[in-house]
Amino acid sequence: MVILPKDYKHTLDALQDEKLTIIAGGTDVMVKNRNWSGLIPRVEGNSINIFQLNELSYIREDESGLHIGAGTKLEELLNSPLIFEPLKAAVREMASPAIRHVGTIGGNVGNASPAGDTLPILYVYDTVIVLESVEGIREISIFEFITGPGKTTRKSNEIIKEIILKNIDYTGFYYEKVGGRRSDAISKLSFVGLYNADEKGTIKDVRIAFGAVYKTIVRNHELERQLLQSLNSEKSMEDIIDEYSQLIQPIDDQRSNANYRKNCSLSLLKSFIQMAGGN
Amino acid sequence: MKDISISINKVDNISKISGKEAYVGDIKLPDMYHAKTFRANIIKGTIKKITYPNLPKDYYIVDASDIPGKNFVKIIFDDMPVFVENKVSYYGEPICLVIGKDKTEILKIMDGISVTYEEDTPEFEYKDAVIHYDFNKGDPKYKESDDLKLIEGTYDMGYQEHVYIEPQGMIGYFENNKVSMLGAMQCPYYIKNAVLSILGIEPEEEEKNSKVKVKQAPVGGAFGGKEEFPSLLACQLAVAVNKLKIPISLIYERTEDMEFSTKRHPATIELKTLVTKEGDIKQVMAKVSIDGGAYKGLSGVVLQRAMLAASGAYAFDNMIVTGDVFRTNTVPTGAFRGFGAPQMIFSVEMFIQHIAKTLSINPLKLRKKYLVKQGDTTSTSGTFRDTVIMPDMIKKAMDISNYESKTTKYEKLINAGNSVKGYSKDDVYRGVGMSWFLHGCGFTGSGEQKHIKAVVRLAKDANNQVTILIASVDMGQGIKTTMRKLVAHELEIPFEQVTLDDPDTDYVPDSGPTVASRTMMIVGGLVLEATKKLKKQWKDNEEQLIETNYKQPDYVKWDDETLIGDAYPAYSWGVNIVEVEVSKVTYQVNLVGTWSVYDIGKAIDERIIMGQCDGGLLQGIGYGMLEVMNHKDGKIQQKSVTDYIIPTAKDSAKMETHLMNNPFALGPYGAKGAGELTLIGGAPAVALAIENAIGKNVYKIPVTPEYIMELMNNE
Repeated sequence: MVILPKDYKHTLDALQDEKLTIIAGGTDVMVKNRNWSGLIPRVEGNSINIFQLNELSYIREDESGLHIGAGTKLEELLNSPLIFEPLKAAVREMASPAIRHVGTIGGNVGNASPAGDTLPILYVYDTVIVLESVEGIREISIFEFITGPGKTTRKSNEIIKEIILKNIDYTGFYYEKVGGRRSDAISKLSFVGLYNADEKGTIKDVRIAFGAVYKTIVRNHELERQLLQSLNSEKSMEDIIDEYSQLIQPIDDQRSNANYRKNCSLSLLKSFIQMAGGN
Repeated sequence: MKDISISINKVDNISKISGKEAYVGDIKLPDMYHAKTFRANIIKGTIKKITYPNLPKDYYIVDASDIPGKNFVKIIFDDMPVFVENKVSYYGEPICLVIGKDKTEILKIMDGISVTYEEDTPEFEYKDAVIHYDFNKGDPKYKESDDLKLIEGTYDMGYQEHVYIEPQGMIGYFENNKVSMLGAMQCPYYIKNAVLSILGIEPEEEEKNSKVKVKQAPVGGAFGGKEEFPSLLACQLAVAVNKLKIPISLIYERTEDMEFSTKRHPATIELKTLVTKEGDIKQVMAKVSIDGGAYKGLSGVVLQRAMLAASGAYAFDNMIVTGDVFRTNTVPTGAFRGFGAPQMIFSVEMFIQHIAKTLSINPLKLRKKYLVKQGDTTSTSGTFRDTVIMPDMIKKAMDISNYESKTTKYEKLINAGNSVKGYSKDDVYRGVGMSWFLHGCGFTGSGEQKHIKAVVRLAKDANNQVTILIASVDMGQGIKTTMRKLVAHELEIPFEQVTLDDPDTDYVPDSGPTVASRTMMIVGGLVLEATKKLKKQWKDNEEQLIETNYKQPDYVKWDDETLIGDAYPAYSWGVNIVEVEVSKVTYQVNLVGTWSVYDIGKAIDERIIMGQCDGGLLQGIGYGMLEVMNHKDGKIQQKSVTDYIIPTAKDSAKMETHLMNNPFALGPYGAKGAGELTLIGGAPAVALAIENAIGKNVYKIPVTPEYIMELMNNE
């Protein structure tokens, strides 16, 4: 059975009553549960379709950061002047126009694929996930929210209501999605790097994340601190790159191989470090 | 009279673009049942026991025990069964059809089927040779010596999947006492013959009292994939319809199609040459190995096409050519646009470049020295009789693309240490590659004369409406437009006064399959011949029927046993130039532009041919740099359009194409074959461009970023 809630409150009530598969754009659910054409998808148990809920579709900014309603369509992110360029860069290369018009940012987070294209960006923006249930609102950092491929700490009565990106300053931005072709491709790997330098060129902040090369997105604050130090002291980066190399543990699959994913990730890292003025 | 090449609107433009076209999966007959294929889930072995669940009313299982005739799909060899009897030879081999009206119930029944197997060790290596050919040219007596250097190159190619618009599908029904088939196909009469065979009906019996008919449904692309494979679906349905007398549709899901339908043959081609240090090629040796999968199917003919192309667009005096089809426990491979030639032309184009590099001589000079000229002998000691205008075509392609200055510039860049790893995203290697190629038009050797024996008819009714009666299928290549145009043009009557319907074997004669780049040149040639007869005998407002039959040109001499002589009555020619950028960081390849020149004799409609040119080249480039498909323990790994990467519009680039005017005396208005030619040069051109960019020899396709990384790291 598919529940079509009349509003957001009805959704929360329904989720309280039973365990449901939440369908927003359906671009993951429909594919994962594909059935013989003409039959409904093989979704386990009942589901709830929140596609038509306007309450979850908004983008606003305040002092705590940029708030994006979970039901906001990927295409709407591209059209909003409030959305930061790095997130737009990732969305621009996601899937196909048809999918971007129905797929939502909340869905990309909830699906928790290591290859989810918005995720590396959300990681470098220290994103907070806002979950709601009839019991109330719970905020959790994306680092704690996503625990593995397809795994999150969302409770079955909760829905992803909103995601909040921290407003950060940057002077340098590097993003690369490596897919099998130039559009409509699932990432073999992806990389994002941001740094912020002051007028004298001193780097104040550096952030790095890798997609599709580990069970979750790879971001490491300690290595970023070391990198920041090295960038400002012209120290060699080799040790740091080695440390990242330990964290990057990709797999062989039908789309690429572990060797390429690893080497290419490290090349992108080195390339970013050079851009930031390091050696 | 207007030039026939001037384009008109393709008749199916609106129905295809608007989405209104009803493909086989869209067709619903009254009271139609659905069928799903139950498949073996082991790779090789024997069925010890099979238990079917109790079936609800109006649900059926049809398997090998229901076959009235002999259990194989009639094509060339009696080897591939329609349903497994007890021996399983590849993963997913069909065991039975489960038939009913409710799809959920069908799936439930499938879950209830239990099979006990005894598994055998499968073979995936090139060990079990099932077809062998060899031939020599000239006097290949040379041996390696102080003056003669031996240069070798081994080239590898993987699968290619067709990815036609609609997956394989067929509807079987019983009407007017006939087992009838309606579906996606290229060859209505192949299917009819296969159905007759599985039902145990002798052709003579069928002549007297027809029991089988086959009708084509609109086809949204086929690329060879709908040549022999649809016969399997038709045979299975024929057995079911013969038994149950109900309408049944068997439509593959995309993943089922990608996993279990035929694909282009993976191949390994070893080339060797004995050459002086000045670049005098004394002898060329080619050893071709192709993976036929579990059954022979058309693999022998594919192997022949590959072997016949062993000298590419060049003429070498002395050659030794050998080849084998290997049986492996994998999904059977089959027909695909180019039919063995893409594998060989890729290998030859890379090899001649590699010879020049090894000898440190200019590759272009070496290639020009051996380029075919009119009067030269073919690899099978036949003769290139017609004018070869390749030098003009090459010059044109090089001029419009600035090929020479680009190659030199990019080569210098890479040699000047530009191979140092770049660390800017925009830092790229640049390269340009050029391929020269040819494609024999029509069936190989005496196939047209001995096996196909094409018959074509024109029927004029009392209203002077002329109907073309041929078995050829419009699968996107536009014959519904061009055949009518041909007849209307010759008769000087309006286009609307000529009719061409989707073929139905109850009405059209066997003009042969829609394959081998033969449709316009051979079938169109017969249609034009019939039209000329009709024009001469034209009687206003009277019914008239004209028939023409294929006659092999007298000059074509071919020996099926030795593979010596004229393998084809004519050749089409092409030049592709491709420019790429290769990222120094990720090794991703970006297509910058393509420049092409083709000699297809004469275009019957220029825009339609341009469509073939763009589509064929992009499919060839996809084969060369993107389309990875492999199996792991006999199971196809890339079985969705998400995982099997074909180029999108964004992966394409500006394509500049020119057609030469070089009419072939025996083709209609001078037309030669065009369908396959346009694919063949894509892979070598893009591989040579990447080679030029990265300064490393390329030995396999697709040239993926993963492979480029391997090449760059192997210093």
